[in-house]
Amino acid sequence: MNFVPALTNPLALLLLALVPVGIIVLYFLKLKREPVEVPSTYLWSKTIEDLHVNSLLQRLRRSLLLLLQLLAVFIALIALLRPGYRGESTGQDRTVFLIDNSASMQTVDRNETLSRFEKAKLLILEKIEAMTDSDSAMLISFNDRSETVQAFTTDRARLRDSLERVTITNHSTDILGALKAADGLANPRRSSEIADVNDVQVADAKPADLLIYSDGRFQTVTEFNLGNLKAEYIAMGSSDVENLAITAFSTERNVERPTEVQAFATIENFGTSSVSTTATLTMNGQFLDAEAVQLDAGEQTGLSFVIETEDAATLNLALDHEDDLEIDNVAYTGLSPLRNVSILVITRGNTPLKVGLETENTAKICNASFFSPSYLQTEDYKKRAADGTDDLIIYDTCSPDEMPATNTFFIGALPPSTSVTSPGNSEASNASQTTTSDPTQPPANQDSGSQDSDSPDNNAADAVPAAAETSPAVNSDADEPNRPDLNWRWASPKSSVSLIDIERNHPLMRYLELFSLLIFSGRGVEGPPGTVELVGADVGAILAIAPRAGFQDMVLGFEIISRDEDGTPVTNTNWYAERSWPVFLLNVLRYLAGAADASGAPSYRPGETVRVRLENAITSPSVTRIGGSSVEVTPGPGGSLEIIETEVPGNYRVEDGSKLADLFAINLFDPQESSIAAVKEIDIGYESVASEDTTVEQRQEFWRWALIAMLGLIAAEWWVYSRRVA
Amino acid sequence: MELVSRKVFRGRMKGERKSKRKGQSVEFHDFRNYVAGDDLRLIDWNLYARLDQLFLKLFQEEEDLHFYALIDASESMNFGTPTKLHVAKQLAAALGYVGLCRADRVSVQALGPMGRQAPALRGRASLWKMLNYLDSVDSGENVSLFEGVKDFSLRNSGTGVAVLISDLMDKEGYESALRMLIGRRMDVFVMHVLSPEEIDPPIRGDRRLIDVEDGDSAEITLNNYALQKYQETVKSFIGSIKQFCAKRSIAYLPVRTETPVETIVTKYLRERGVVR
Repeated sequence: MNFVPALTNPLALLLLALVPVGIIVLYFLKLKREPVEVPSTYLWSKTIEDLHVNSLLQRLRRSLLLLLQLLAVFIALIALLRPGYRGESTGQDRTVFLIDNSASMQTVDRNETLSRFEKAKLLILEKIEAMTDSDSAMLISFNDRSETVQAFTTDRARLRDSLERVTITNHSTDILGALKAADGLANPRRSSEIADVNDVQVADAKPADLLIYSDGRFQTVTEFNLGNLKAEYIAMGSSDVENLAITAFSTERNVERPTEVQAFATIENFGTSSVSTTATLTMNGQFLDAEAVQLDAGEQTGLSFVIETEDAATLNLALDHEDDLEIDNVAYTGLSPLRNVSILVITRGNTPLKVGLETENTAKICNASFFSPSYLQTEDYKKRAADGTDDLIIYDTCSPDEMPATNTFFIGALPPSTSVTSPGNSEASNASQTTTSDPTQPPANQDSGSQDSDSPDNNAADAVPAAAETSPAVNSDADEPNRPDLNWRWASPKSSVSLIDIERNHPLMRYLELFSLLIFSGRGVEGPPGTVELVGADVGAILAIAPRAGFQDMVLGFEIISRDEDGTPVTNTNWYAERSWPVFLLNVLRYLAGAADASGAPSYRPGETVRVRLENAITSPSVTRIGGSSVEVTPGPGGSLEIIETEVPGNYRVEDGSKLADLFAINLFDPQESSIAAVKEIDIGYESVASEDTTVEQRQEFWRWALIAMLGLIAAEWWVYSRRVA
Repeated sequence: MELVSRKVFRGRMKGERKSKRKGQSVEFHDFRNYVAGDDLRLIDWNLYARLDQLFLKLFQEEEDLHFYALIDASESMNFGTPTKLHVAKQLAAALGYVGLCRADRVSVQALGPMGRQAPALRGRASLWKMLNYLDSVDSGENVSLFEGVKDFSLRNSGTGVAVLISDLMDKEGYESALRMLIGRRMDVFVMHVLSPEEIDPPIRGDRRLIDVEDGDSAEITLNNYALQKYQETVKSFIGSIKQFCAKRSIAYLPVRTETPVETIVTKYLRERGVVR
């Protein structure tokens, strides 16, 4: 039996001790006596005289009411002293509580009614209740971000309130931030100079117990030293769990059949027993398909569904299986219709390109306008280029003076060079300028501005290799080794080209089979740093793509239609006759022009800030979680929208009035969180912290019983009093 | 039924009681020698014939008995249900009636000034006078027992049977009053009237007790202990009266107001020899 006095101030204790004395004094000073007429006080006086002989003691001894009152006060005093036994006492009087409120803590283990998070809160509450007045504690919650809910305090009420405020989240877990927050006072960083004897360390280390209430499902922390923190890991949950989780769910439109949508899902069994269930796919809330799933422990499987839809749709996949963690049993994704992109084509005439951009499939997502190179000099073009009105500009064997504010695709030509100071690059720049100037000095028949100009002009293509050949410095950074070359250049003279390699993983190269391609004349291209070679040939990269200040430039090293000496268009390749040509153009439209950006709604983690770019015309969009509430948001400059209320998994619609502007989904998709078996041991820095027994000895408190007894005594006293008065 | 006197008193008038006087009754008392001047009618001639001496045959005189019923009419008697005064008046009336029927001189009176108006009665026909007087007796005569008895003694010089009906709760004490009656050579009976509320008070808690006679107050916390003490005091009070009375040949009779008067008269008073 020990006591944890609720009051330690001696003055308060003295006042408490005076309470019984006060009651006795009041008892004697009680003024109100009910008058009663008696025939004579003759005999009573004799009785009172007898009583007065030892009246004080007699009254104290014989007054049941007073005894009951004193007993009640005595019990209340005992309750204030908080009697209890076997209270757990830690070695240190400072404690840091770390509570994991990530998604995995929502798990309700078998044979349990409370979730791990709720159990952790109860355990912390018990610890708080067992604190003495000299103990101080701090409360930190952590998921993928940490929050110091309550700084060090000795006030148990504040700690309790703070603990009440901590809520479970759907986030993933990262404990490092919480450890750093706990580390502050325990391991103060050196504030003095080591060598300076006059400069002493000011902050004293304040060792503390670090109690981690978690299931241990976080990345191992390596860059942290516990130092003066004495870590205890209280593993929440058991290792025998049952959890089937959807770890991926996405949709993809079939390029060749735009109305056909494929939905892919990955389902994994993180439990310790095999599970057999069904996965149900619903679209816009309507049942669509279902598939049986049977997985042994630790196994995973993929599911695919084929859906026919042209319109925007929201899909969700649910596992019809109740397991320990519910949040990963449903996955969401959205599907928006292909966006219509605007393409500006500057060409002297390129029938395969034109035909390729006007096929039935491309016409649905593409609005192409064709102009001759002379259009580059017009104010209209300059405005379009500067405003970024078009989603993609294709320069076919021509080049502008300045790069436009949009994505570009150069066919048989190089993008204009930026300002260059080195002589070599200056020549290259000149060469490039020559290239760009070519359109300004066209043959007479180019002035017509006809989009189908067929006048011969090989200068644009021929001038650059000459520059390249005459100026080897173009290919070398020897003159300015420290300055990266930001310009595109030809890597080889014109020659026939044999393709060697294709970057099949790049979205632009998907579904392409190019090895049967014949290219009569082409050159390798070299781009600025960050260039990705999409198609490699014997002359170097024949198709490459490079980022440029938020845009992307793609350069094809050979022409599709070239001109002979007479200016007659001749085909330079048989690509236009291949099946891959329209597919390539469709890929260009989808990924370079951005038509495909909206084809499958992206998925984000809960709590992640979602950035959406909207058209400038939309001024007051609203974000709605399907089945949830709607929030009005204000877009920033340039139509960018940052959505932070993404805590709840689901499909979210960004709407402009009733019109759908964008779609995105929030899913857990975190195998680390879905793997809910509690970890027995966690590693923090160089130390391994084994799980403590969660059934720690709890302090058995008696003050509540004492209070109940006191109330009972007061009730009894009242009963005795009423009986007497009546 | 008649009132019993343990002493033989001289009456004032011819009555049915043995008197100390020798007289004309039929009950032989004694012989004595004739002296000159004696009434010749009293000479026992048969004895003269036998002994040749003159003897006078003496007979017991029969006179009336003086019966006094003294009622304590103080405020303290106006207590209980029925009140002690009511019971006292009933007892006095009953005893007075018995006396009137036996041709005794009956005087039922309240102690104090009201007692002066009390008539001395004789004969059954005087019953209504006695009852009228008793009707007029009311509580409120807050004279002490001693003062009341003294006043009575001064007004009534004769001897006889005196029945004091009182609760005897006089702060100056009952002893002097009883002594005075004894000193007057009265055959004294004390009927100590107590109500059950006095013997076992039904009150509890913190009370201020107010004396109805003099307004005196006493603060007391009435718990079981205090009540027990009080009952012990009552018992001791009764015991001391009994002892006092026994020493002085005073017949003491405790009367509880809840007991019917006829039971008291026909049973208890007979047992104690007040009537027969």
